[in-house]
Amino acid sequence: MRSKAWWVVGVALLLASALAQGSPDPREEAKRQKELLLQTAGILPTELVVQQGEELFNRKGPSGKTMAECDFGLGKGVLEGAAARLPRYFLDTGRVEDLDGRILTCMTRVQGFKPSEVRRSEVVAVAFYIASKSTGHKIQVRLLFPQERELYALGEKLFYARSGPRDVGCATCHVTYVGKRAGVLPYADVLGKDKSWTHWPAYRYSNDQIWTMQDRIRACYGNIGHPQPALYSLPILALELFMAYQNNGAVVEEWPAFVR
Amino acid sequence: MKAKKLIPILLAVPLVVALAQSYFSPSELEAIKTGGKTYADVFLNQRPDQALCSIHRNRLPGDLLPKFLEEQRALIKYPQSGKLMGDWKKGGAIFNNLQKANCFSCHFGSPVHLGGDVGPSLEKYGLKRGQSEAVQRYTYEVIYNSWAYFPCTVMYRFGAQGLLTPEEIADVVAYLLDPESDFNTKPAVGSK
Repeated sequence: MRSKAWWVVGVALLLASALAQGSPDPREEAKRQKELLLQTAGILPTELVVQQGEELFNRKGPSGKTMAECDFGLGKGVLEGAAARLPRYFLDTGRVEDLDGRILTCMTRVQGFKPSEVRRSEVVAVAFYIASKSTGHKIQVRLLFPQERELYALGEKLFYARSGPRDVGCATCHVTYVGKRAGVLPYADVLGKDKSWTHWPAYRYSNDQIWTMQDRIRACYGNIGHPQPALYSLPILALELFMAYQNNGAVVEEWPAFVR
Repeated sequence: MKAKKLIPILLAVPLVVALAQSYFSPSELEAIKTGGKTYADVFLNQRPDQALCSIHRNRLPGDLLPKFLEEQRALIKYPQSGKLMGDWKKGGAIFNNLQKANCFSCHFGSPVHLGGDVGPSLEKYGLKRGQSEAVQRYTYEVIYNSWAYFPCTVMYRFGAQGLLTPEEIADVVAYLLDPESDFNTKPAVGSK
């Protein structure tokens, strides 16, 4: 299994470098890459990670429970469409949680792992698996609880903030310069037509990265020379809730996605 | 007597706080702190001009512009030598370095890297504009503090934020303006 994964990754990188020249629309290009990879390797890296996530989901923790004992928002063990309704407020923790955070809660509170025992790669793999059960579902995020409304407001403010030595901010590029290019890719219309919330979690073939939206947001900050927020922190969650709510009603084409 | 003297001070405190216009509320800053110290510090130390651009989503109301522009102008400092055009070779190294000034990512015209189109094309910048004192000054000041000309624009305020020294900015000005500079003698990557 492991050696097969590496072989697939190798093929992916070869394809990526061979086809890197003259790429038009990045989304069309990603589709083409995906087809080629499927033809040559017979399986996609996303599928391998989903399989790994499923194994971890059904693994028993120190408490003897699998993740099927956890509620991801639609009831114990119900995964169909659950990820499309996150982030949301959970009564049992009294917190708003996204997919990553809820998996962490499940592993620590229900499965009995110590927080220090939870590996990030495992959380991401399980996120890939649970997200795969929302393909074809509509994003339905609500602002019902005061905690949800507060985080949304913070996310909106963070999105429009100018900060740091480079005066950067999300909206300054992803609203004002949509479609313009700084570097390789044009800026996505993350609040509008590009429905960027539905693009993550994803396998990013150009850099061989297995990322959730948490990783993507951190990379956004990092790329523009701004300090990055810690994983599982409130500012990440706030930005996620804001973006997800803005993309409400968008259909998840495929989770996990396959992107450039 | 003492209490009487204190009253105007106590009244003035909330006024000053209100004038400073912080963008995030104290409770929001507490939430941001969960992102870690280096991340949170950037927001805890958000400058008043950054806060203003954040509040108005990069479109300042007209009545705020004169004061804003005046304050941004006041931040501009010049090289001690007084020369606004330095060494174009050093300037090229700064212009084309992703970690340093990263100019090429947004502007077309570099003979080293393919430029982006977030900012205007600078192709053959010096050949089109000449090297008059006015052109040198304008170029220098826009690089030093873009907000003195284009309030809240995406372009970094290289001098005002301490990303480049006045001398380094003069080097970049030379890279753009000097007719001998590679920027003006060599074709831009991607030019047709």
